[in-house]
Amino acid sequence: MAQAVRTARDRTWLLVGGMLLLVAVAARTFDAQQLPWLRNLVIIFGSLLVEAMPFIALGALVSAAIEVFVPASAFAKIALLPRSLQLPAAAISGMAFPVCECGSVPVARRLARKGLAPSAAVTFMLAAPIVNPVVIASTAVAYRGRDTFWVMVLGRFTLGLVVAMVVGWVIGAMRPQDLLRPRGDLEAHEVEDDEPRWRRFFGHLTGDLVFMARFLILGALLAAAIQTFVPQSIVDRVANLPILSLVAMMALAYLMSLCSESDAFVAASFVAFGPSAQLAFLVFGPMVDMKLSALYVGTYSSGFLRTTVIAVGATTLVATMWVQVIWG
Amino acid sequence: MKTTLAPQATEASAAPRWSPVRVAAGGVLTLWAGLFWFLLLTGRSSLYLSSRTDWLVPMGAAILTVAAVGRIASARTTHPEAPSRRETWILGAIAVPAVLLLALPPITLGTYSVDRRSSFAGSGIGATARAVTGELDFVDVGAAQSFDAALQQLTARGGEPITLEGIVAEDAGLPADELLLARYIVTCCVADATVARVRVVGVPPGAFAAEDWVRVEGRVYPVGREVLVAAETVEAIPVPDRPYLTP
Repeated sequence: MAQAVRTARDRTWLLVGGMLLLVAVAARTFDAQQLPWLRNLVIIFGSLLVEAMPFIALGALVSAAIEVFVPASAFAKIALLPRSLQLPAAAISGMAFPVCECGSVPVARRLARKGLAPSAAVTFMLAAPIVNPVVIASTAVAYRGRDTFWVMVLGRFTLGLVVAMVVGWVIGAMRPQDLLRPRGDLEAHEVEDDEPRWRRFFGHLTGDLVFMARFLILGALLAAAIQTFVPQSIVDRVANLPILSLVAMMALAYLMSLCSESDAFVAASFVAFGPSAQLAFLVFGPMVDMKLSALYVGTYSSGFLRTTVIAVGATTLVATMWVQVIWG
Repeated sequence: MKTTLAPQATEASAAPRWSPVRVAAGGVLTLWAGLFWFLLLTGRSSLYLSSRTDWLVPMGAAILTVAAVGRIASARTTHPEAPSRRETWILGAIAVPAVLLLALPPITLGTYSVDRRSSFAGSGIGATARAVTGELDFVDVGAAQSFDAALQQLTARGGEPITLEGIVAEDAGLPADELLLARYIVTCCVADATVARVRVVGVPPGAFAAEDWVRVEGRVYPVGREVLVAAETVEAIPVPDRPYLTP
């Protein structure tokens, strides 16, 4: 029996090794002129990964440090605060974490596992990619010199906080074990409780990286495929329609899966759309997009993605409708 | 689903031994760290990121290297386990993009995306805030195609000399002595690329094909939203070190 298992395992190693070799040979002999769509897809896929992986790695580093060096009692004290205080505190604390949306997922997962209320962890996760200083600065640069400068910069910051808190409120009193998916097999191998602290740190770092990377790769591949085959001009037709323009820009943000630190420059380029639609793009995208959806499905229990999409979408839509009424 | 572990994996042993699953995870992280070092040392990060965000590459290389070294340094354990078949496939799948990008020849976005991307609008730097006063370039042209203020400034400078480098885009409707020249503008990574386009007139018929990189020297003439360049010289050039512009 053991011999059979070992043989099957050896065969799997060979197959995986063969697959990697095949990928290398195919990439090396790839003729970019023959398959322009594939060239487009590979470059966008690669760019999303090259940009997001360092943030995932940074998030995993912070997450591992929290696990190993911050005592659980610190979070237990925060958990004693009333939820009406926890959620705003969690949203505001996102200002201290200047990474894009991919990096905040492993940190929020670790915070919930360490004892922070899941609603507060989710609020932090959603707010951090919007309210951190780097994103505020990039939004300001993108809209510098425009009449809508303050609407966009303050509107994005405020709506980011509000929508994150609303989702946290919707998550409610859910327990960590109800929110988080169980640890994956690979993660379980990475750490043993009786190991020295430095070994546990690297175990958690590797576990988080390997766990998140697979979902990031899947999400980046889907986003690259959408960007390759769906022209951005598809949304132009609804630019002047009151509510549809908001929905269209949220849908586009979902499909494009841009980093929150650069999306303001892209939103600013949609000059046919008013500030409200651009705000919808800038608030919805960093909270829910295609690569994040893959990360959420891997990290959280079934239903979390659906709840988040509905809550973020509805709150963003209502809020930006008011912006549309006032500023157009 | 987890397969049964081999006997040596389940027996506790006092002497630490290499854990195959940890070594495998460390190997995958080493591959990814290698990719980021490769991008850094060869300058190929410019194929994926803008000059504003290429600092991410050394950051990624450093963190992934620390993670890989730390994992391999801590891979000896008293409870060594081999990865299950499923885990082996997962690790293999995570390694695929790193192998792909390491093996891929240097390629850039081609004309396929020209009609699928939104036109460049200059955003904060290129349009309203940046006066079109210096040496004219593609960013000015793109901004003029989107914003009235920039268009007025460019129109006032109609007839001035301009030098542009870009790729020849396909446009079946153009006369034989004209071509559409495009250049991608990337703010963060190639996924956010927007495109600036000009119509170049006075080109030797049949001299250039779609996907060729060319340098055009001539004079600029905004006509409505369209920007024309009357070419004085057009020459083929290799792909620039930085194929994408940053606003």
